[in-house]
Amino acid sequence: MALSPSLLLMTLCVVFGAAAAWFLCEPRARRLQNDLADVEADLKAQQASQSHIIHTTKLASLGQMVAGVAHEINTPLGFVKSNVEVVADLLAEHEVQLGRLMSGIDLLHNADAVSLARAREALIRARNTLATQPLLGDARDLLGDASEGLKSIAHLVANLKSFARVDRDGMDLVDLNESVRSALAVAAHLLRDRVRVNTDFGQLPRVRCMPSQLNQVFLNLITNAAQAMPGESGTLSIASRATADAVEITVADTGGGIPDSVLPKIFDPFFTTKPVGEGTGIGLSIVHKIVKSHGGSIHVRTAIGQGTTFTVSLPAELRALAAPLREKAA
Amino acid sequence: MSEVIALRPLRVLFVDDEARITRALRALFRDFEAHVTNDPADAPRIASERDIDVVVCDQRMPGITGVDCLREIRQLAPRAMRILLTGFSDLKAVLGSVNEGEVFRFVSKPWDNRELREIVTTAGRIARETPALAADVLSASEHEQARDQVGVLVIDDDTTTQQRLREFLQPHYHVRFAGNAERALQILEQHETGVVICATELGHGDAGANSDLTGMVKVLKHYHPCIVTIVVTDRANSQTAIDLINEGQVYRMLLKPIRMGPTRLSVDSAIARYWQLKRAPSAVRRFSVMPRADNVVSLASVSDTILARIRQLPSRIAHIARLG
Repeated sequence: MALSPSLLLMTLCVVFGAAAAWFLCEPRARRLQNDLADVEADLKAQQASQSHIIHTTKLASLGQMVAGVAHEINTPLGFVKSNVEVVADLLAEHEVQLGRLMSGIDLLHNADAVSLARAREALIRARNTLATQPLLGDARDLLGDASEGLKSIAHLVANLKSFARVDRDGMDLVDLNESVRSALAVAAHLLRDRVRVNTDFGQLPRVRCMPSQLNQVFLNLITNAAQAMPGESGTLSIASRATADAVEITVADTGGGIPDSVLPKIFDPFFTTKPVGEGTGIGLSIVHKIVKSHGGSIHVRTAIGQGTTFTVSLPAELRALAAPLREKAA
Repeated sequence: MSEVIALRPLRVLFVDDEARITRALRALFRDFEAHVTNDPADAPRIASERDIDVVVCDQRMPGITGVDCLREIRQLAPRAMRILLTGFSDLKAVLGSVNEGEVFRFVSKPWDNRELREIVTTAGRIARETPALAADVLSASEHEQARDQVGVLVIDDDTTTQQRLREFLQPHYHVRFAGNAERALQILEQHETGVVICATELGHGDAGANSDLTGMVKVLKHYHPCIVTIVVTDRANSQTAIDLINEGQVYRMLLKPIRMGPTRLSVDSAIARYWQLKRAPSAVRRFSVMPRADNVVSLASVSDTILARIRQLPSRIAHIARLG
């Protein structure tokens, strides 16, 4: 079918017009494209700086935590170090006494009728000194304590390692009770002698997650709770339970509670009620971010003068349920 | 009589909630009369009943801090010298140990056996040989006399602090201000100064380089232990504070911005402390600093001319001149 000349003309016009329009608009489009690139770059820079801040904050809290655990190690280290040195002194003293006993025996062995009485006396004296000063018994007790102290130090270091997950990164099937336990161990210096800790761990299916991140979530919630109870009469209660399709962890303090004016902002990055220099306002926003990225949710319930409860809920993986059973069967 | 006292082994009380720490310390001090308790609530009673010479106390314990425990011991058994032994040197504990516990030394865990034995032995001898001062409170007439005679020297070039101190103290004391070490020395040479209020460093005023004052505080204490020092600081650093206790025996440490109430209280009791030392100069040993290797280093951080001038400062207390 041949095109009528008018139709041809029209078609040409349309094509030409479109081309002209394209040609005329091109600079604007290019400008727009440039603008878009700028915005994207800005956004990227902002994201980078935010993730840098989050990373820095994570490092700062890691530093704080390491300092806390280092302090915790100082007590066992104190008596282990002292005991080892004192045991060396006790052994030296014991050696001297043994020496006296030996020379007493030699004296007795070589004694003649005249010196016998004196030799016996020296021997008995050495024997009695040895009997009244339980140097070896003391040394054994001190070494027993030292050995216990070394176990505590090993335990603290193991906690730190399991918290930081230096050996494993990325996704893993995790028993969240373990995660909470390691966070509690790492935060022990914030709580010890000050805050009563109640735990009620239920049987949990394992959760597919980044354990290092969830450890961070629980540490931040525990730190927050500890800071909400500055006195010496607070109680921290941590409970875990499995629901039909999720795992729920609650972290409750008996602190002052969160006022209504503050409540909507608590998960905002950089929002803080702490004095300048004490809080970055990033702790709870990290918690929120990590929980969301795991497909979970976080809820807060608070009452002024009574305390605050955070509930973290994470989807339990069905496949994960089967895993422990298989292990049992094996 | 005094020989009999000296022959009796020193009585030490160790307070720590961790039994393995007290067992270790008892073994380390097996040639002393060592008492231990794992319950800090019992410590003040034991210290006073047993007439203890030296108390070595942990800081973090359930129910009570070491600082609080030592404060109670200070009231119930004022003769006992107090040492804080802790694995947690947070600033709050350090400041509390100065301002409330008035500790002789602050020792960190893990401790060095020889050093701890030396510190405890020195403290014990001082407790035996020198009388304890009564609380730093004077009668109204004495206080008036003291305020009339004894000057207060402020060494700080931070104008805000200077202004505040002028406002708080000028109406009550002879206060003199020095913005640099040179001026401070002139004042010390010319006027009887009982209390020195000192920043940890200069450098607020001119664009000049910051200069550290803690060395001077330590040297001043070393040669003129009667002068009572109050340190004001905005740099909250626990290690500096610990060094100022152990090597400078500072009397109080105040954080900037300073406030009226605590400042007046501190200066009042510092004046009273100086006045009491003036009357019972032998008690100054209770606040002495040991000539330790570290101390020589801090001596070295002060220039020779300043060192010489500090050594030659006229001593206003006869007995002390003889000690030096």
